[in-house]
Amino acid sequence: MMEGLKNMLVMIELELRRLRHDRTEIYFRAVQPILWILIYGPVMSSVRAIPTGGVPYTDFITPGVMIQTTTFVSIFYGLMMVWERESGILKKLLVTPASRYSMVIGRSMASGVRALFQALIILPIALIIGVRFIPNPAYFSLAFTIIFFASGGFAAISILVASFMKTRERFMGIGQAIIMPLFFASNALYPVQMMPPILREFSTFNPLSYVVDAVRGLLITGDLSNLLMDLVAIAIFDAVSFILASISFKRIIE
Amino acid sequence: MDFAVQVKNLVKVYDGKVKALDGVELDVEPGEVFALLGPNGAGKTTLIRILTTQLKPTAGEAYIFGLNVVRNGGKVRRLISYVPQEMSVWTDISGYENLLVYAKIFDVPSHERGKIIDEVLENMGLTHVKNDLVRTYSGGMIRRLEIACAMLTKPKIMFLDEPTIGLDPAARKVVWERLGVFKEEYGVTIFFTTHYMDEADLYADDIAIINQGKIVARGTSEDLKHSLGGEVISFTLEKAAIKPELFQELRKLVFVKDVLVENGSLNVFVDDAESTLSILMNFLKSEGLSVGKVSINKPTLDDVFLKHVGTRLEEKGRISDVTQMRYMIRRG
Repeated sequence: MMEGLKNMLVMIELELRRLRHDRTEIYFRAVQPILWILIYGPVMSSVRAIPTGGVPYTDFITPGVMIQTTTFVSIFYGLMMVWERESGILKKLLVTPASRYSMVIGRSMASGVRALFQALIILPIALIIGVRFIPNPAYFSLAFTIIFFASGGFAAISILVASFMKTRERFMGIGQAIIMPLFFASNALYPVQMMPPILREFSTFNPLSYVVDAVRGLLITGDLSNLLMDLVAIAIFDAVSFILASISFKRIIE
Repeated sequence: MDFAVQVKNLVKVYDGKVKALDGVELDVEPGEVFALLGPNGAGKTTLIRILTTQLKPTAGEAYIFGLNVVRNGGKVRRLISYVPQEMSVWTDISGYENLLVYAKIFDVPSHERGKIIDEVLENMGLTHVKNDLVRTYSGGMIRRLEIACAMLTKPKIMFLDEPTIGLDPAARKVVWERLGVFKEEYGVTIFFTTHYMDEADLYADDIAIINQGKIVARGTSEDLKHSLGGEVISFTLEKAAIKPELFQELRKLVFVKDVLVENGSLNVFVDDAESTLSILMNFLKSEGLSVGKVSINKPTLDDVFLKHVGTRLEEKGRISDVTQMRYMIRRG
């Protein structure tokens, strides 16, 4: 346990050191979400077709867009695993005393850190265009903690995928194929109630919906009625993805 | 005293089809520099990966200092360090940071960390670039950084898979000098594979040749060369003239220890060339062959390899492959 925690911190440190040397990826990845809240949000809100429970549409989608980008970051973290597999880095890491599960969880949470920065960079832009956040530091901290852990879970899923897809090209394809359905079949852009029944069913199993719901409640609407359920769902999602990724990790080097 | 490496009847079959190791038997003494030579696909890397607990053998047993690599994997990993053939450092952080991450994974106490890292950097001649991004390093510097990572924990045994591949001769020499100093200081056992015969000849205390998953020759460089005979007489003949019957006839001569053919040159291994050359010349003449050129040399490790594997070590294509791959990986 202590060993796992220590390795997790080492992997997070590695990620922070990487970010310190080169942040261009974070800036480039911010372009897409900024377009969503800068262009898509205002255009759709002028149509007034989507019931948002009284909050401006751009405010409504800001948490969803933020979480979409962090999920992108996490899902493509597996790409780095594929690269590290092609190089000898993973082989060398697996020959250290660090256990495999601590490597998986460590790397996943390291991706969570990267995702946090990705989410934070959107905040000032959202503030400038007039998105009104609930000014409560405790809510903010909890929201970003949720983003951190959820991103870790998604990164574990991507490590799981990486252990099956051994080339970068295949991984790129599958990465896209995972993210877009998750995004559109969630409550990120519209309330779940607006979806056709089948999609609504799917949305109950979509971890992204729970993350968006919790973060939207904490940052924008203040509606925390589902918060406990959201937290439980995210915890289950994390546990399942960590376990599956740890079991499958061995494959990645064989 | 336990062997540093002990391998008993090791078999590895991939996907139920490809037999990479076919009953390997091997002992390596502690404190030795041990070279494993073999053509591509002979099973070198598979053997190293089993010994470093990355792969499970299909059958047979392997021990590192008496610890079973399957049952005691965790303990084995505390004794060993490993440099894979592929590039194994993060290029988007500095050399110092790479070492720092590994020092932390290996639980090097925080008050010693800085000192130990500086020491291995100094050892590998990287102090002046320690804060530069690894991306800016030359191929030789990256290889030295990888070996520095492996030295960091003062392991009892280092596994180096092609530690000098693709480096120029000067850079190779530097790597081996540094490894030599490190070995003297800490008594570490070094287990390496290489494509450079001269390296095995110069630096290895002990050599094994592996071919098609089996150890086919074993001994010191001197032993192996001596097993071929004291001297080799090379006759340049027309290619068409070298027939299997000629081989058999030659082998019947009592003083001939072995015969090998390569590129139109007939190599006859004997203990003493001076006393046997005229007999051989007469023999070839009686067979109706005209000899172009004759030279007398000492057998080399290359000759040993040729005898046991059937081909020379195909250095060139292989090395440029790996260099290219490492280069591509570096660029990401």
